[in-house]
Amino acid sequence: MPTHREPALRTVGLRKAFGDHEAVDDIHLTVPAGSFYGLVGPNGAGKTTTLAMAVGLLRPDAGTAEIFGVDVWRDTVQAKGLIGVLPDGNAMPERLTGREVLTYLGLLRGIPHDTVAERTDELLQVLELDTAERTLVIEYSTGMRKKIGLAVALLHAPRLLVLDEPFEAVDPVSAATIRTILRRFVGSGGSVIISSHVMALVEQLCDHVGVISDGRVMAAGPLADVRGAGTLEDAFVDLVGARTGGTEGLAWLTS
Amino acid sequence: MAHLLTPGPAALAKLMIRMRLTLMRNSLGGDDAANLYTGVSVGLILAAGTIAVAVLWPAYLPLALAAWLSGWIFGPILIGGGNETLRPEYFAMLPATPRRTAAALLAGAFAGPAPAVNLIALLSLPVYGWRHGPAGVLIGLVAAVITLITMVMISRVVVALIGLFVRSRATAASVGVVAGTAIALCSNGWAPVAALGGDTAAWSHHLVRALPSGWGVAAIEAPWPLALAILAANAGLIALLLASWATLLSRRVVSAARGGVPPRRGAPRPFPTTGGARVSAAKELRAWWRDLVRIQLLGTAFSFALVFPFLLVPLDAWVVVPFTGLIAIVMAAASSANLYGADGTALWLTLMTPGAERADVRGRQLAWFLIVGPAAIALSLAGTLISGEPWAWPWVLGLLPALLGGGAGIIVLLAVTSLVPGTDPHKRGGNPLSTGADETAETSLAWLVLIALPSIALPTAGAILLNPWAGVASGVLTGALSAWGLGRIAYRRLENHGTELLNLMKHGPAPQAGKPTTADLPVVHRIGVTVCYLTAWLPLFPQGVVPMVMKIFGIADPGWFLALHLPPIWQWPTIIFMIALGLLMYGYAILIPMRLNSPS
Repeated sequence: MPTHREPALRTVGLRKAFGDHEAVDDIHLTVPAGSFYGLVGPNGAGKTTTLAMAVGLLRPDAGTAEIFGVDVWRDTVQAKGLIGVLPDGNAMPERLTGREVLTYLGLLRGIPHDTVAERTDELLQVLELDTAERTLVIEYSTGMRKKIGLAVALLHAPRLLVLDEPFEAVDPVSAATIRTILRRFVGSGGSVIISSHVMALVEQLCDHVGVISDGRVMAAGPLADVRGAGTLEDAFVDLVGARTGGTEGLAWLTS
Repeated sequence: MAHLLTPGPAALAKLMIRMRLTLMRNSLGGDDAANLYTGVSVGLILAAGTIAVAVLWPAYLPLALAAWLSGWIFGPILIGGGNETLRPEYFAMLPATPRRTAAALLAGAFAGPAPAVNLIALLSLPVYGWRHGPAGVLIGLVAAVITLITMVMISRVVVALIGLFVRSRATAASVGVVAGTAIALCSNGWAPVAALGGDTAAWSHHLVRALPSGWGVAAIEAPWPLALAILAANAGLIALLLASWATLLSRRVVSAARGGVPPRRGAPRPFPTTGGARVSAAKELRAWWRDLVRIQLLGTAFSFALVFPFLLVPLDAWVVVPFTGLIAIVMAAASSANLYGADGTALWLTLMTPGAERADVRGRQLAWFLIVGPAAIALSLAGTLISGEPWAWPWVLGLLPALLGGGAGIIVLLAVTSLVPGTDPHKRGGNPLSTGADETAETSLAWLVLIALPSIALPTAGAILLNPWAGVASGVLTGALSAWGLGRIAYRRLENHGTELLNLMKHGPAPQAGKPTTADLPVVHRIGVTVCYLTAWLPLFPQGVVPMVMKIFGIADPGWFLALHLPPIWQWPTIIFMIALGLLMYGYAILIPMRLNSPS
């Protein structure tokens, strides 16, 4: 049985190639239980691919992923009971309203009807989706899609939340709400993994970070260790070896 | 600072043509290129055939050209709105008037293989004009160009109308009804024509000339002044079409497409307080009722089933009427075979919910059964009653459960084994009826159902021949076993290969080194496969199965059934040969590409 001593997520040697391109190349990550973990990296670094393999949505070419000690690819059903996932850009049952999506998924997970109704009401209210009672998910804005996705991830009260870019396209007020919800979740013993490009946000929220670039882990561990004396952004630019551009060319624009 | 001059009409048109050609060149990889070559080859054969008609049977030239026109009109309806390589949305921010953008887009629309092939077919006009001297050739050449522009414009206006007006269940269903009726007319339309006096009648002669496709022929046959008037009228029609297209386009880019229809006025009906398959079925029922693509497909299936049998009634042949409901089941199954592909990556939720795969498959089966079943049963009972064909009762009552159960089984099985990836519903463009899936692959899937589902019911048909009422028991058993067994295979496969299906929809088929694709099929085979797909129904159904049924029931009218025109001793061998030929052609068309596609 899983215990709290096991890390919330451990990946060993995850690999995935798309054709000739090695999207993820030997990723080892350990996310301690009860931590708020930020996964950062430039566009195309392999964050989304890594998370998809870690939760069981993409079969790795090699390597293993464990959630609280449960092998995701061997004890799939048990692992999936422990996590709530917000993937980036996936479709939903588009022709349901937000309430219907939550009701349907809650009942499908075997949660009693009254509990589903109660949780759905609260989630819609807290995430301010309750005004869109008659809107089908397909007509939701990008920010609303993120919020209904988050509600789906929270619905069954999982022990680990894996959220891919949860703050992208979300308005500042909703973002503050989501931050508060996630802090409360971690405060009560839950574990959270988020991926993001926004260093300031990760620095503000997370206690652990992993930096991925070109499908490899460049640095990982407690926030203080990874960023050292400077800011996370400085450490990140150092680690991925990026060169900040934008000062050359474009003379016609500024003349 | 910036210069705000948009290029003139000619330059803009040239840019559009270059952009279209570049887009086409960049997408010419693998299967697309092979599809293009096959399509062009088949088109060229048809074009050559049209020119042959102009030389050998000139009386039928207007009819042949009407067929090309109907291709331009119904093609986009049938394949869900037509292929739009250059979307008007791309150019919404260009500082140009809608009409100028429309004219340029039109120029872009001509920079493709279909108009080029069609132009070759229209060369039949100057060829026909040769009979009327050099002036006839000249008028024929002008008419060929004008007719081509008219056909392409009509097609564009149809696509624009679909994109703009399909915003509700009623309009989606009417597009489906038009499509279903068109398919029915293509397969059985000869019957009412024959009943009304056939192709010798004057009205049909005038009708095909009155269509825009026949104006060229009319101009060639007319004296000089009238010919010029006809061509001028045609040019006027083009101007009118262009103006309305420009208006439609400018409205389209500023109005948002709707992906679905809101539930109901007031609060939506609450979900049932249950779990498992029944709650999945509740989700599916809502999708059937709110998804315009599904409504359109159902409209197509049921209108075909309703129109097809009754087209034979003018010939006083009621034999097919009792089977209206059965035809509806087969057609509805054929248009539901890509259930998972149509929902896109929403599959991730099923995969992340422990044990939901079984509930999802069973729920989809149950919902399909509830959507199609009652209507099919009502149509079957009503059809058999009004047809006045009492012999049909055991056939209808036996085949009905076999086909319903078989349909509920086969659609989920194919949905997980032969999934055709489309575009996720929320990422689709301005066209509400396009799923973004590869139409060729979706059509093959539909054909697979059209063949596989009747074969599931074959044992029942055999039982009915032995003893009419044993057939009913056999039908119920076949239906129950197929729905249960095929559904079981489907959810087992979803449990084991769900992630692969999800990633197929997310990233498309993974290119695997050394694995052959259909693109590697020699062009001769590809043409063969396409020709077989397009024509195999001819020997199988109208020349094989239908005369067989007519012979069994002793219907004397030979119609256009080859076998019934032959001496009695040759009739059965001809029917069997035709059925075997049709099956062989389908077998070839399905198995050759499948052998290449199967994972090694």
